[in-house]
Amino acid sequence: MTPAYKAALEAAGVDVADALARFMGSEALLEKYLRRFPEDPNYQALCQALGAGDAAGAFTAAHTLKGVCANLSLTRLLDPLSRQVECLRAGDLAGAAALAPETAAAYEDLRGLLRRWEG
Amino acid sequence: MTERELSIPPLPDTLLIVDDVEMNRAILAEIFKDACRIQEAENGREGLEKIRALGGRLCAVLLDVVMPQMDGLALLRILAAEGIPKRVPIFLITAETGDAVTREAYALGVMDLIYKPVVPYVVRRRVESVMELFRARERLGSQVERQKIEIAEQDKKIMSLSLGMVEALSTAIEFRSGESGSHVRRIHDITAFMLRKTPLGAGLSPFAIDQIALAAIMHDVGKIAIPDAILNKPGKLTAEEFEIMKTHTLQGGRLLERIPQMRAHEAFRYAYDIALHHHERWDGRGYPHGLKGDQISLPAQIVSLADVYDALVSKRVYKDAYSFEKALEIIREGGCGTFNPRLLEHFFAVEKQLRHLYKDAEKEGDGAL
Repeated sequence: MTPAYKAALEAAGVDVADALARFMGSEALLEKYLRRFPEDPNYQALCQALGAGDAAGAFTAAHTLKGVCANLSLTRLLDPLSRQVECLRAGDLAGAAALAPETAAAYEDLRGLLRRWEG
Repeated sequence: MTERELSIPPLPDTLLIVDDVEMNRAILAEIFKDACRIQEAENGREGLEKIRALGGRLCAVLLDVVMPQMDGLALLRILAAEGIPKRVPIFLITAETGDAVTREAYALGVMDLIYKPVVPYVVRRRVESVMELFRARERLGSQVERQKIEIAEQDKKIMSLSLGMVEALSTAIEFRSGESGSHVRRIHDITAFMLRKTPLGAGLSPFAIDQIALAAIMHDVGKIAIPDAILNKPGKLTAEEFEIMKTHTLQGGRLLERIPQMRAHEAFRYAYDIALHHHERWDGRGYPHGLKGDQISLPAQIVSLADVYDALVSKRVYKDAYSFEKALEIIREGGCGTFNPRLLEHFFAVEKQLRHLYKDAEKEGDGAL
Protein backbone atom coordinates (compact mmCIF):
# COMPACT_ATOMS: atom_id res chain seq x y z
CA MET A 1 0.00 0.00 0.00
CA THR A 2 1.71 3.17 -1.16
CA PRO A 3 1.52 6.35 0.95
CA ALA A 4 -0.24 8.05 -1.96
CA TYR A 5 -2.94 5.37 -2.08
CA LYS A 6 -3.37 5.60 1.68
CA ALA A 7 -3.68 9.38 1.45
CA ALA A 8 -6.27 9.08 -1.32
CA LEU A 9 -8.28 6.60 0.75
CA GLU A 10 -8.11 8.90 3.79
CA ALA A 11 -9.29 11.80 1.62
CA ALA A 12 -12.26 9.67 0.49
CA GLY A 13 -13.27 9.12 4.12
CA VAL A 14 -11.66 5.70 4.69
CA ASP A 15 -10.22 5.32 8.19
CA VAL A 16 -7.17 3.36 7.00
CA ALA A 17 -5.58 2.94 10.45
CA ASP A 18 -8.82 1.58 11.90
CA ALA A 19 -9.31 -0.82 8.98
CA LEU A 20 -5.72 -2.02 9.13
CA ALA A 21 -6.09 -2.75 12.82
CA ARG A 22 -9.14 -4.88 12.00
CA PHE A 23 -7.08 -6.88 9.49
CA MET A 24 -4.36 -7.38 12.08
CA GLY A 25 -2.09 -4.93 10.26
CA SER A 26 -2.22 -6.91 7.03
CA GLU A 27 -2.20 -4.39 4.16
CA ALA A 28 -2.45 -7.20 1.64
CA LEU A 29 -5.66 -8.46 3.18
CA LEU A 30 -7.18 -4.98 3.42
CA GLU A 31 -6.25 -4.21 -0.19
CA LYS A 32 -7.77 -7.45 -1.37
CA TYR A 33 -11.14 -6.66 0.15
CA LEU A 34 -11.02 -2.98 -0.90
CA ARG A 35 -10.42 -4.16 -4.47
CA ARG A 36 -13.43 -6.43 -4.26
CA PHE A 37 -15.72 -3.77 -2.82
CA PRO A 38 -16.99 -2.39 -6.16
CA GLU A 39 -18.07 -5.92 -7.10
CA ASP A 40 -20.17 -6.37 -3.97
CA PRO A 41 -23.72 -7.03 -5.24
CA ASN A 42 -25.44 -5.55 -2.21
CA TYR A 43 -25.37 -1.95 -3.39
CA GLN A 44 -27.16 -2.83 -6.63
CA ALA A 45 -29.57 -5.00 -4.66
CA LEU A 46 -30.35 -2.11 -2.32
CA CYS A 47 -31.05 0.28 -5.21
CA GLN A 48 -33.30 -2.24 -6.94
CA ALA A 49 -35.23 -3.09 -3.76
CA LEU A 50 -35.77 0.59 -2.96
CA GLY A 51 -36.96 1.15 -6.54
CA ALA A 52 -39.35 -1.79 -6.30
CA GLY A 53 -40.65 -0.78 -2.85
CA ASP A 54 -39.32 -4.04 -1.36
CA ALA A 55 -38.68 -3.04 2.26
CA ALA A 56 -37.47 -6.46 3.44
CA GLY A 57 -35.11 -6.89 0.48
CA ALA A 58 -33.81 -3.35 0.95
CA PHE A 59 -33.17 -3.98 4.62
CA THR A 60 -31.23 -7.19 4.00
CA ALA A 61 -29.07 -5.56 1.31
CA ALA A 62 -28.46 -2.37 3.29
CA HIS A 63 -27.67 -4.33 6.43
CA THR A 64 -25.14 -6.56 4.70
CA LEU A 65 -23.53 -3.64 2.88
CA LYS A 66 -23.29 -1.75 6.16
CA GLY A 67 -21.38 -4.70 7.63
CA VAL A 68 -18.91 -4.64 4.75
CA CYS A 69 -18.43 -0.86 5.03
CA ALA A 70 -17.90 -1.14 8.77
CA ASN A 71 -15.24 -3.83 8.33
CA LEU A 72 -13.40 -1.69 5.77
CA SER A 73 -13.94 1.49 7.85
CA LEU A 74 -15.58 3.29 4.89
CA THR A 75 -16.83 5.99 7.25
CA ARG A 76 -18.21 8.46 4.71
CA LEU A 77 -20.42 5.80 3.11
CA LEU A 78 -21.21 4.17 6.42
CA ASP A 79 -22.92 7.29 7.77
CA PRO A 80 -25.85 7.64 5.33
CA LEU A 81 -26.05 3.86 4.93
CA SER A 82 -26.49 3.35 8.68
CA ARG A 83 -29.31 5.86 8.73
CA GLN A 84 -30.94 3.99 5.83
CA VAL A 85 -30.68 0.74 7.74
CA GLU A 86 -32.40 2.27 10.75
CA CYS A 87 -35.21 3.66 8.55
CA LEU A 88 -35.70 0.26 6.94
CA ARG A 89 -35.57 -1.52 10.30
CA ALA A 90 -38.44 0.74 11.37
CA GLY A 91 -40.24 0.02 8.08
CA ASP A 92 -39.73 3.56 6.79
CA LEU A 93 -39.20 2.91 3.09
CA ALA A 94 -39.70 6.58 2.09
CA GLY A 95 -37.12 7.77 4.62
CA ALA A 96 -34.61 5.27 3.28
CA ALA A 97 -35.33 6.31 -0.29
CA ALA A 98 -34.81 9.96 0.65
CA LEU A 99 -31.30 9.10 1.86
CA ALA A 100 -30.47 7.24 -1.34
CA PRO A 101 -28.81 10.20 -3.17
CA GLU A 102 -26.45 10.80 -0.24
CA THR A 103 -25.50 7.13 -0.15
CA ALA A 104 -25.13 7.06 -3.93
CA ALA A 105 -22.76 10.04 -3.93
CA ALA A 106 -20.51 8.51 -1.30
CA TYR A 107 -20.65 5.13 -3.01
CA GLU A 108 -19.78 6.43 -6.48
CA ASP A 109 -16.92 8.54 -5.09
CA LEU A 110 -15.45 5.57 -3.42
CA ARG A 111 -15.98 3.22 -6.34
CA GLY A 112 -14.27 5.68 -8.68
CA LEU A 113 -11.31 5.93 -6.36
CA LEU A 114 -10.96 2.18 -5.89
CA ARG A 115 -11.23 1.55 -9.65
CA ARG A 116 -8.51 4.14 -10.29
CA TRP A 117 -6.14 2.47 -7.88
CA GLU A 118 -6.98 -1.03 -8.95
CA GLY A 119 -3.93 -3.16 -9.72
CA MET B 1 -0.55 -45.18 14.39
CA THR B 2 -3.45 -42.75 14.65
CA GLU B 3 -4.49 -41.10 17.90
CA ARG B 4 -7.74 -43.03 17.86
CA GLU B 5 -5.85 -46.31 17.95
CA LEU B 6 -3.77 -45.06 20.85
CA SER B 7 -7.00 -43.87 22.49
CA ILE B 8 -5.48 -40.53 23.38
CA PRO B 9 -8.25 -37.95 23.44
CA PRO B 10 -7.67 -35.33 20.72
CA LEU B 11 -6.48 -31.92 21.85
CA PRO B 12 -9.02 -29.17 21.34
CA ASP B 13 -6.98 -27.05 18.94
CA THR B 14 -9.38 -26.00 16.18
CA LEU B 15 -11.48 -22.85 16.03
CA LEU B 16 -14.53 -22.92 13.78
CA ILE B 17 -15.74 -19.71 12.15
CA VAL B 18 -19.31 -19.84 10.86
CA ASP B 19 -20.17 -16.77 8.79
CA ASP B 20 -21.65 -16.35 5.32
CA VAL B 21 -19.52 -13.29 4.48
CA GLU B 22 -16.07 -14.27 3.30
CA MET B 23 -14.47 -11.02 4.48
CA ASN B 24 -15.81 -11.56 7.99
CA ARG B 25 -14.32 -15.04 8.07
CA ALA B 26 -11.01 -13.70 6.76
CA ILE B 27 -10.86 -11.01 9.44
CA LEU B 28 -11.61 -13.49 12.24
CA ALA B 29 -9.21 -16.08 10.81
CA GLU B 30 -6.47 -13.46 10.69
CA ILE B 31 -7.00 -12.71 14.39
CA PHE B 32 -6.54 -16.35 15.46
CA LYS B 33 -4.19 -17.74 12.81
CA ASP B 34 -1.26 -17.86 15.25
CA ALA B 35 -3.29 -19.17 18.20
CA CYS B 36 -5.00 -22.24 16.78
CA ARG B 37 -6.01 -24.21 13.72
CA ILE B 38 -8.92 -22.65 11.89
CA GLN B 39 -11.82 -24.08 9.93
CA GLU B 40 -14.54 -22.09 8.24
CA ALA B 41 -18.17 -22.70 7.36
CA GLU B 42 -20.46 -20.55 5.20
CA ASN B 43 -23.75 -21.33 6.93
CA GLY B 44 -25.29 -23.10 9.89
CA ARG B 45 -25.72 -26.41 8.11
CA GLU B 46 -22.09 -26.57 7.05
CA GLY B 47 -21.14 -25.39 10.55
CA LEU B 48 -23.04 -28.28 12.12
CA GLU B 49 -21.32 -30.79 9.84
CA LYS B 50 -17.89 -29.42 10.75
CA ILE B 51 -18.71 -29.36 14.48
CA ARG B 52 -19.68 -33.03 14.31
CA ALA B 53 -16.60 -33.92 12.27
CA LEU B 54 -14.21 -32.03 14.56
CA GLY B 55 -15.57 -33.57 17.77
CA GLY B 56 -13.00 -33.21 20.56
CA ARG B 57 -10.69 -31.13 18.35
CA LEU B 58 -13.04 -28.16 18.52
CA CYS B 59 -11.81 -25.45 20.91
CA ALA B 60 -14.34 -22.67 20.16
CA VAL B 61 -17.03 -21.59 17.69
CA LEU B 62 -17.48 -18.06 16.36
CA LEU B 63 -21.04 -17.96 15.08
CA ASP B 64 -22.73 -15.35 12.90
CA VAL B 65 -26.47 -14.82 13.36
CA VAL B 66 -27.91 -13.99 9.95
CA MET B 67 -26.95 -16.64 7.41
CA PRO B 68 -28.68 -18.52 4.57
CA GLN B 69 -29.50 -22.26 4.79
CA MET B 70 -29.43 -22.43 8.59
CA ASP B 71 -29.00 -19.29 10.67
CA GLY B 72 -26.92 -18.96 13.82
CA LEU B 73 -29.79 -19.40 16.26
CA ALA B 74 -31.12 -22.50 14.50
CA LEU B 75 -27.65 -24.06 14.74
CA LEU B 76 -27.35 -22.96 18.35
CA ARG B 77 -30.64 -24.65 19.26
CA ILE B 78 -29.37 -27.96 17.86
CA LEU B 79 -26.04 -27.62 19.69
CA ALA B 80 -27.77 -26.70 22.96
CA ALA B 81 -29.96 -29.81 22.76
CA GLU B 82 -26.75 -31.88 22.58
CA GLY B 83 -25.09 -30.04 25.49
CA ILE B 84 -22.23 -28.84 23.28
CA PRO B 85 -22.12 -25.24 24.64
CA LYS B 86 -21.11 -26.74 28.00
CA ARG B 87 -18.04 -28.39 26.48
CA VAL B 88 -17.07 -25.88 23.81
CA PRO B 89 -17.31 -22.10 24.16
CA ILE B 90 -19.56 -20.55 21.51
CA PHE B 91 -19.40 -16.85 20.66
CA LEU B 92 -22.16 -15.12 18.81
CA ILE B 93 -21.10 -12.51 16.25
CA THR B 94 -23.73 -9.83 16.02
CA ALA B 95 -24.19 -6.22 15.08
CA GLU B 96 -27.09 -5.74 17.48
CA THR B 97 -27.00 -5.25 21.23
CA GLY B 98 -29.58 -6.42 23.72
CA ASP B 99 -32.17 -7.68 21.26
CA ALA B 100 -34.32 -10.82 21.44
CA VAL B 101 -31.66 -12.77 19.55
CA THR B 102 -29.06 -11.95 22.17
CA ARG B 103 -31.38 -13.04 24.96
CA GLU B 104 -32.16 -16.38 23.36
CA ALA B 105 -28.49 -16.94 22.50
CA TYR B 106 -27.45 -16.48 26.11
CA ALA B 107 -30.28 -18.76 27.24
CA LEU B 108 -28.96 -21.41 24.81
CA GLY B 109 -25.53 -21.29 26.41
CA VAL B 110 -23.55 -18.81 24.33
CA MET B 111 -20.42 -17.72 26.23
CA ASP B 112 -20.17 -14.17 24.98
CA LEU B 113 -21.09 -11.78 22.18
CA ILE B 114 -18.72 -10.36 19.60
CA TYR B 115 -19.92 -7.11 18.11
CA LYS B 116 -19.48 -6.21 14.48
CA PRO B 117 -17.42 -4.55 13.20
CA VAL B 118 -14.99 -6.56 15.25
CA VAL B 119 -12.17 -4.98 17.24
CA PRO B 120 -9.42 -7.61 16.91
CA TYR B 121 -7.54 -7.18 20.19
CA VAL B 122 -10.82 -7.26 22.13
CA VAL B 123 -12.07 -10.34 20.30
CA ARG B 124 -8.78 -12.13 20.68
CA ARG B 125 -8.55 -11.38 24.39
CA ARG B 126 -12.14 -12.41 25.12
CA VAL B 127 -12.08 -15.60 23.11
CA GLU B 128 -8.67 -16.70 24.35
CA SER B 129 -9.59 -16.03 27.98
CA VAL B 130 -12.63 -18.24 27.67
CA MET B 131 -10.72 -20.96 25.79
CA GLU B 132 -8.10 -20.91 28.56
CA LEU B 133 -10.87 -21.19 31.14
CA PHE B 134 -12.28 -24.25 29.38
CA ARG B 135 -8.80 -25.79 29.06
CA ALA B 136 -8.08 -25.16 32.76
CA ARG B 137 -11.41 -26.71 33.72
CA GLU B 138 -10.60 -29.75 31.58
CA ARG B 139 -7.12 -30.04 33.14
CA LEU B 140 -8.52 -29.68 36.63
CA GLY B 141 -11.14 -32.32 35.91
CA SER B 142 -8.57 -34.85 34.73
CA GLN B 143 -6.27 -33.94 37.63
CA VAL B 144 -9.04 -34.72 40.11
CA GLU B 145 -9.66 -38.02 38.31
CA ARG B 146 -5.97 -38.88 38.48
CA GLN B 147 -5.80 -37.99 42.16
CA LYS B 148 -8.85 -40.14 42.89
CA ILE B 149 -7.05 -43.11 41.32
CA GLU B 150 -3.87 -42.32 43.25
CA ILE B 151 -5.75 -42.12 46.54
CA ALA B 152 -7.46 -45.43 45.84
CA GLU B 153 -4.06 -47.01 45.12
CA GLN B 154 -2.57 -45.57 48.30
CA ASP B 155 -5.60 -46.85 50.17
CA LYS B 156 -4.91 -50.34 48.87
CA LYS B 157 -1.25 -50.06 49.87
CA ILE B 158 -2.18 -48.93 53.39
CA MET B 159 -4.70 -51.76 53.66
CA SER B 160 -2.15 -54.34 52.60
CA LEU B 161 0.45 -52.79 54.91
CA SER B 162 -1.88 -53.00 57.90
CA LEU B 163 -2.84 -56.55 56.94
CA GLY B 164 0.89 -57.30 56.79
CA MET B 165 1.44 -55.79 60.24
CA VAL B 166 -1.42 -57.78 61.72
CA GLU B 167 -0.10 -60.96 60.13
CA ALA B 168 3.44 -60.23 61.29
CA LEU B 169 2.32 -59.72 64.88
CA SER B 170 0.10 -62.80 64.87
CA THR B 171 2.73 -64.94 63.19
CA ALA B 172 5.39 -63.80 65.67
CA ILE B 173 3.14 -64.87 68.52
CA GLU B 174 2.45 -68.16 66.80
CA PHE B 175 6.15 -68.81 66.31
CA ARG B 176 6.57 -68.73 70.08
CA SER B 177 4.47 -71.85 70.34
CA GLY B 178 6.66 -73.53 67.74
CA GLU B 179 4.09 -73.48 64.97
CA SER B 180 4.87 -72.89 61.34
CA GLY B 181 3.37 -69.44 60.98
CA SER B 182 0.94 -70.60 58.37
CA HIS B 183 -1.71 -71.41 60.97
CA VAL B 184 -3.00 -67.83 61.09
CA ARG B 185 -2.98 -67.62 57.30
CA ARG B 186 -5.08 -70.79 57.08
CA ILE B 187 -7.52 -69.59 59.74
CA HIS B 188 -7.92 -66.43 57.63
CA ASP B 189 -8.49 -68.48 54.48
CA ILE B 190 -10.88 -71.00 56.02
CA THR B 191 -12.96 -68.24 57.63
CA ALA B 192 -13.13 -66.29 54.38
CA PHE B 193 -14.01 -69.46 52.44
CA MET B 194 -16.80 -70.47 54.81
CA LEU B 195 -18.35 -67.01 54.58
CA ARG B 196 -17.96 -66.63 50.82
CA LYS B 197 -18.79 -70.12 49.61
CA THR B 198 -21.42 -71.38 52.05
CA PRO B 199 -24.80 -69.91 53.08
CA LEU B 200 -23.22 -68.93 56.41
CA GLY B 201 -22.08 -65.65 54.87
CA ALA B 202 -25.58 -64.69 53.66
CA GLY B 203 -26.28 -61.02 54.32
CA LEU B 204 -22.64 -60.07 54.82
CA SER B 205 -21.01 -57.64 52.40
CA PRO B 206 -17.72 -58.62 50.72
CA PHE B 207 -16.12 -55.86 52.80
CA ALA B 208 -17.48 -57.29 56.07
CA ILE B 209 -16.22 -60.75 55.09
CA ASP B 210 -12.74 -59.34 54.44
CA GLN B 211 -12.82 -57.64 57.82
CA ILE B 212 -13.92 -60.83 59.62
CA ALA B 213 -11.19 -62.85 57.88
CA LEU B 214 -8.64 -60.21 58.87
CA ALA B 215 -9.94 -60.30 62.44
CA ALA B 216 -9.60 -64.11 62.46
CA ILE B 217 -5.84 -63.72 62.03
CA MET B 218 -5.71 -62.11 65.47
CA HIS B 219 -7.65 -64.80 67.34
CA ASP B 220 -4.62 -65.93 69.37
CA VAL B 221 -2.83 -62.60 70.02
CA GLY B 222 -3.52 -63.11 73.73
CA LYS B 223 -0.99 -65.94 73.72
CA ILE B 224 1.71 -63.29 73.95
CA ALA B 225 0.81 -63.10 77.66
CA ILE B 226 1.18 -66.86 78.23
CA PRO B 227 4.55 -68.04 79.61
CA ASP B 228 6.76 -70.09 77.27
CA ALA B 229 6.76 -73.00 79.71
CA ILE B 230 3.03 -73.45 79.29
CA LEU B 231 2.79 -72.44 75.64
CA ASN B 232 5.55 -74.82 74.55
CA LYS B 233 4.92 -77.66 76.96
CA PRO B 234 5.09 -80.86 74.95
CA GLY B 235 2.83 -82.93 77.18
CA LYS B 236 -0.60 -82.45 78.71
CA LEU B 237 -1.12 -79.26 80.74
CA THR B 238 -1.95 -79.51 84.43
CA ALA B 239 -5.30 -78.10 85.52
CA GLU B 240 -3.56 -75.02 86.85
CA GLU B 241 -1.56 -74.56 83.65
CA PHE B 242 -4.70 -74.99 81.59
CA GLU B 243 -6.43 -72.27 83.61
CA ILE B 244 -3.55 -69.94 82.68
CA MET B 245 -3.65 -71.07 79.07
CA LYS B 246 -7.39 -70.28 78.92
CA THR B 247 -6.68 -66.65 79.82
CA HIS B 248 -5.21 -66.05 76.32
CA THR B 249 -8.77 -65.27 75.21
CA LEU B 250 -9.27 -62.50 77.79
CA GLN B 251 -5.70 -61.28 77.29
CA GLY B 252 -6.31 -61.09 73.54
CA GLY B 253 -9.38 -58.93 74.00
CA ARG B 254 -7.57 -56.71 76.48
CA LEU B 255 -4.55 -56.31 74.16
CA LEU B 256 -6.66 -55.36 71.16
CA GLU B 257 -8.65 -52.91 73.26
CA ARG B 258 -5.53 -51.07 74.27
CA ILE B 259 -4.32 -50.27 70.75
CA PRO B 260 -6.13 -47.06 69.79
CA GLN B 261 -5.52 -47.60 66.06
CA MET B 262 -7.02 -51.06 66.41
CA ARG B 263 -10.07 -49.74 68.24
CA ALA B 264 -10.69 -47.34 65.38
CA HIS B 265 -10.33 -50.08 62.76
CA GLU B 266 -13.40 -51.53 61.05
CA ALA B 267 -12.20 -55.02 61.94
CA PHE B 268 -11.93 -54.25 65.67
CA ARG B 269 -15.36 -55.40 66.81
CA TYR B 270 -14.83 -58.70 64.99
CA ALA B 271 -11.25 -59.09 66.21
CA TYR B 272 -12.20 -58.38 69.81
CA ASP B 273 -15.14 -60.80 69.72
CA ILE B 274 -13.14 -63.55 67.99
CA ALA B 275 -10.12 -63.24 70.28
CA LEU B 276 -12.40 -63.38 73.31
CA HIS B 277 -14.82 -66.10 72.19
CA HIS B 278 -13.05 -68.49 69.83
CA HIS B 279 -13.01 -71.12 72.60
CA GLU B 280 -16.70 -70.90 73.49
CA ARG B 281 -18.79 -73.95 72.62
CA TRP B 282 -22.37 -74.38 71.40
CA ASP B 283 -23.42 -76.27 74.56
CA GLY B 284 -22.03 -73.56 76.86
CA ARG B 285 -19.06 -75.65 77.98
CA GLY B 286 -16.38 -73.49 76.41
CA TYR B 287 -14.45 -70.57 77.88
CA PRO B 288 -13.92 -67.85 79.04
CA HIS B 289 -17.60 -66.89 79.46
CA GLY B 290 -19.44 -70.13 78.90
CA LEU B 291 -21.62 -68.57 76.20
CA LYS B 292 -24.25 -70.88 74.73
CA GLY B 293 -25.77 -71.31 71.24
CA ASP B 294 -26.46 -68.09 69.43
CA GLN B 295 -24.91 -66.08 72.25
CA ILE B 296 -21.69 -66.87 70.42
CA SER B 297 -21.35 -64.79 67.27
CA LEU B 298 -21.14 -66.58 63.93
CA PRO B 299 -17.60 -65.29 63.19
CA ALA B 300 -16.39 -66.58 66.58
CA GLN B 301 -18.08 -69.94 65.90
CA ILE B 302 -16.46 -70.28 62.49
CA VAL B 303 -13.02 -69.40 63.84
CA SER B 304 -13.48 -71.91 66.71
CA LEU B 305 -14.16 -74.70 64.25
CA ALA B 306 -11.39 -73.61 61.87
CA ASP B 307 -8.97 -73.46 64.80
CA VAL B 308 -9.91 -76.97 65.97
CA TYR B 309 -9.77 -78.42 62.46
CA ASP B 310 -6.40 -76.85 61.75
CA ALA B 311 -4.98 -78.00 65.09
CA LEU B 312 -6.12 -81.57 64.42
CA VAL B 313 -4.67 -81.92 60.93
CA SER B 314 -1.41 -80.13 61.84
CA LYS B 315 1.51 -81.30 63.92
CA ARG B 316 1.74 -79.52 67.26
CA VAL B 317 4.25 -79.64 70.12
CA TYR B 318 1.81 -81.79 72.05
CA LYS B 319 0.57 -84.03 69.21
CA ASP B 320 1.12 -85.41 65.72
CA ALA B 321 -1.01 -84.49 62.74
CA TYR B 322 -4.22 -86.48 62.25
CA SER B 323 -5.49 -87.49 58.86
CA PHE B 324 -8.35 -85.38 57.47
CA GLU B 325 -10.74 -88.30 57.91
CA LYS B 326 -9.71 -88.81 61.50
CA ALA B 327 -9.99 -85.09 62.20
CA LEU B 328 -13.54 -85.03 60.83
CA GLU B 329 -14.43 -88.06 62.89
CA ILE B 330 -13.14 -86.37 66.07
CA ILE B 331 -15.08 -83.19 65.31
CA ARG B 332 -18.27 -85.11 64.46
CA GLU B 333 -18.07 -87.11 67.69
CA GLY B 334 -17.62 -83.95 69.75
CA GLY B 335 -14.02 -84.72 70.66
CA CYS B 336 -13.21 -81.00 70.59
CA GLY B 337 -16.48 -79.80 72.06
CA THR B 338 -19.91 -79.20 70.63
CA PHE B 339 -20.45 -77.01 67.58
CA ASN B 340 -23.52 -75.46 66.00
CA PRO B 341 -25.09 -78.27 63.90
CA ARG B 342 -25.79 -75.87 61.03
CA LEU B 343 -22.17 -74.74 61.06
CA LEU B 344 -20.98 -78.37 60.99
CA GLU B 345 -23.33 -79.24 58.16
CA HIS B 346 -21.91 -76.46 55.93
CA PHE B 347 -18.37 -77.21 57.04
CA PHE B 348 -18.59 -80.91 56.17
CA ALA B 349 -20.09 -80.01 52.81
CA VAL B 350 -17.04 -77.99 51.75
CA GLU B 351 -14.26 -79.49 53.88
CA LYS B 352 -12.64 -81.38 50.99
CA GLN B 353 -12.03 -78.04 49.25
CA LEU B 354 -10.07 -76.83 52.27
CA ARG B 355 -7.55 -79.65 52.06
CA HIS B 356 -5.49 -78.05 49.32
CA LEU B 357 -4.47 -75.39 51.86
CA TYR B 358 -2.39 -78.09 53.46
CA LYS B 359 -1.03 -79.62 50.28
CA ASP B 360 0.44 -76.27 49.39
CA ALA B 361 1.61 -75.65 52.94
CA GLU B 362 5.28 -75.57 51.99
CA LYS B 363 4.75 -72.98 49.33
CA GLU B 364 4.81 -69.66 51.10
CA GLY B 365 1.64 -67.61 50.81
CA ASP B 366 0.07 -70.06 48.42
CA GLY B 367 -2.79 -70.95 50.67
CA ALA B 368 -5.22 -68.22 49.68
CA LEU B 369 -8.53 -69.56 48.44
